[in-house]
Amino acid sequence: MQVAIASGKGGVGKSTITASLLYLLKDDYSFVAVDADAEAPNLGLLLGVTEWEEEREHIGAKIARINTESCVRCGICYERCPYGCIYIDDEGNYVVNELTCEGCNVCGLVCPVAGTITLEEVRSGVIRKATTKYGFPLISAQLDVGRPESGKLVTEEKEWAAKLMKELNLEHMIVDSAAGIGCQVIASLGGADVAILIAEPTPASLSDVQRAYKVVQHFREPAYLIINKADINPGFTGLEEWAEKEGIPILGRIPYDRAVPESMSMLKPVVEAFPEAKASKAIVEIAEVIKREILG
Amino acid sequence: MQIAVSGGKGGTGKSTVATNLAVALRKIGVRLTLADLDVEAPNDHILLGVELANEEPVNQFMPRFDYSKCTKCRKCAEVCEEHAIVTLKDGTPFLMPTLCSGCRACEIVCPVPGAIQEAFRVIGHTYVTPTPYGFTLVTGKLREGEERSMPLVVAAKKRAEEVREGLLMVDTAAGTGNTVSKAVEGSKLLIAVTEPTPLGIHDTELILQLGKLMKIPTWVVVNRSDLGDVGKVRELAEKYGAEIVAEIPYSENIVKSYVEGKPIALTDYPEAEIFKGLAERVAEFLGGGA
Repeated sequence: MQVAIASGKGGVGKSTITASLLYLLKDDYSFVAVDADAEAPNLGLLLGVTEWEEEREHIGAKIARINTESCVRCGICYERCPYGCIYIDDEGNYVVNELTCEGCNVCGLVCPVAGTITLEEVRSGVIRKATTKYGFPLISAQLDVGRPESGKLVTEEKEWAAKLMKELNLEHMIVDSAAGIGCQVIASLGGADVAILIAEPTPASLSDVQRAYKVVQHFREPAYLIINKADINPGFTGLEEWAEKEGIPILGRIPYDRAVPESMSMLKPVVEAFPEAKASKAIVEIAEVIKREILG
Repeated sequence: MQIAVSGGKGGTGKSTVATNLAVALRKIGVRLTLADLDVEAPNDHILLGVELANEEPVNQFMPRFDYSKCTKCRKCAEVCEEHAIVTLKDGTPFLMPTLCSGCRACEIVCPVPGAIQEAFRVIGHTYVTPTPYGFTLVTGKLREGEERSMPLVVAAKKRAEEVREGLLMVDTAAGTGNTVSKAVEGSKLLIAVTEPTPLGIHDTELILQLGKLMKIPTWVVVNRSDLGDVGKVRELAEKYGAEIVAEIPYSENIVKSYVEGKPIALTDYPEAEIFKGLAERVAEFLGGGA
């Protein structure tokens, strides 16, 4: 089974909860974990991974380059770039901003001088594999700064993870998705059997998780909700009301607990570092519900 | 002039800093427009307690094939870097709309006039919202199910530039991909919001790299500064020639103001002083050049 964990909003505790859940599920299930937040991957850190066994460069991002020698400075590329990624430098040369280029090649197609603008394949990032000290494998990716299409990196991560599942005869893939609702999240949720959404009781988090849920609905996946920092905003009932209206079962509520950031500083899942903390106890209960209701 | 608030990791407090800095800057007389370019999860309006207004759709080009004219030459499919156009065995092209980035490459290479016609679809919206704080908020919001946030970032930034008054402050998405660099592009100052946890520090390094690659002077604001080791952030900042300009301890008051949609910069809480200090430094940096 493939389980994707998403939140829409960043910083609501998605990776910290995922790390704890993986820790609690490791004895009863076999799985591969995937950190699908390729722009800010943190799951490896939380699981104490310090070395990667295998690293694959991902070449595939395409970036346009302009040959200044043959460029006649007509400016057509500058006018036609759909994303405004071409600028004129101090010497009057037309230059592609490699940190914003989407690689669509429109500039190359409209350029009147053959061979002046070329589309070059560059490295978009790396995908890595580690066996965590807890025994299960982790696949993680890191997009290079300023590169497009982190979603493609996530798709490749999941392909690698699927291969590992076959090789090692693993039952599940658990995917920790990025913040937002764009390509990384769509790649994370696509193909999942179940989505677990994590939100905190704030209007901002409610707004973002509602948007993530709409993406889940595109894939017609059953969704569940975990409410994190459940006590930081007493009186806010928006999450519960929304979940009830949509028929999304709430797997549990985790109270705000300073043990969580403390455990992060120790680079350990909170359930391992502080098993007696109130947040840990809540996560243990949630893990039991997940075992019963989702993983079977 | 333009400045950017960003931070690598999600949830470090970018929007909290951006909205409160905007309020604090306005309070000391700086005219500005705030642009929320976190188009996948825009929240500045919620933090400011305002309803999004003046909605405009962002229409994105997509090809519509006139099959009576199409010669099935497959050029459109070959040139599509997104593989959004698939062809049947005989060469008949079909579009997969969500993959289409609207770049018009297919239209450019199509040899038959009129075989590719202009169609559009709405991929999201931009908003121009007046706020009770004396500045306007411009927001970009990607439609759920759309994969590509770049066109929305470009559209929202363009609209922000059209309506801006004085300084343009942009609030970016998490991460350090090319949509973040697009949002940051053109800024004279990058304010990186971080938290001093190992995760925060890991992601801060990436945004500092981005600042360096883009040659933009970078400041660091350490949020929840008592929940980790600020010394480590300081080392990192020094490595990249960035400066820590503010430290904001974890605060129930900030959480409260955040959930209530009332900027803390307007209160008498001691935290308001931190934003006032930050605003004064920014104003000094701008040197009246906003």
